[in-house]
Amino acid sequence: MYKIVSPRVGTPGDTYTPVEGVNVEALLAGGFIVKSKPKTTKSDNIPENKE
Amino acid sequence: MATSTYLSNPVVTVNSVDLSDQCTAATMTHRFDQLEATAFGDTDRKYVKGLGNHELTLTLYMSYQSAETYATLSSLVGTTTTVRVQPAAPPDSATNPGFVLTGAFLAELPVLNATMGELSTVDVTFVGGVYSVDTTV
Repeated sequence: MYKIVSPRVGTPGDTYTPVEGVNVEALLAGGFIVKSKPKTTKSDNIPENKE
Repeated sequence: MATSTYLSNPVVTVNSVDLSDQCTAATMTHRFDQLEATAFGDTDRKYVKGLGNHELTLTLYMSYQSAETYATLSSLVGTTTTVRVQPAAPPDSATNPGFVLTGAFLAELPVLNATMGELSTVDVTFVGGVYSVDTTV
């Protein structure tokens, strides 16, 4: 998951979806996008029942 | 009469980054190698199409500010990317086609081109890649 930082790439705050042929590492290095952690949901945090 | 006048409308994106406001000239060439096919008995040279060998040359103001020219290009040197030029702002159409090179290679970047009393510009050329034309939204 990537988030847009620079308006040159899109709307800041929106999720950036890599397009074929685009060098994502260069976008990260240039500060145009950042890696964003996927949101966790409550169900992700429920511990498994151990018997 | 077929003429095109470009004022401020063309759109230039490099690696998904819109550099239109840094660009003063763009030339995309759709080209194929020409292979000679002339043989004995011919009285004129003949050629057939070889590999595609397309390129895009841009003239850009050099800016070292964040999210501008240098930040866009410096990490692309020696790699491939997608570049796109369009005569006017989207949407794509038959009369406003988006010309795309996917997997174009940037071999070099003039990191400094300074002349006293002038805004610094650099010319960069992307070569190779797959050529396509977007005419539909």
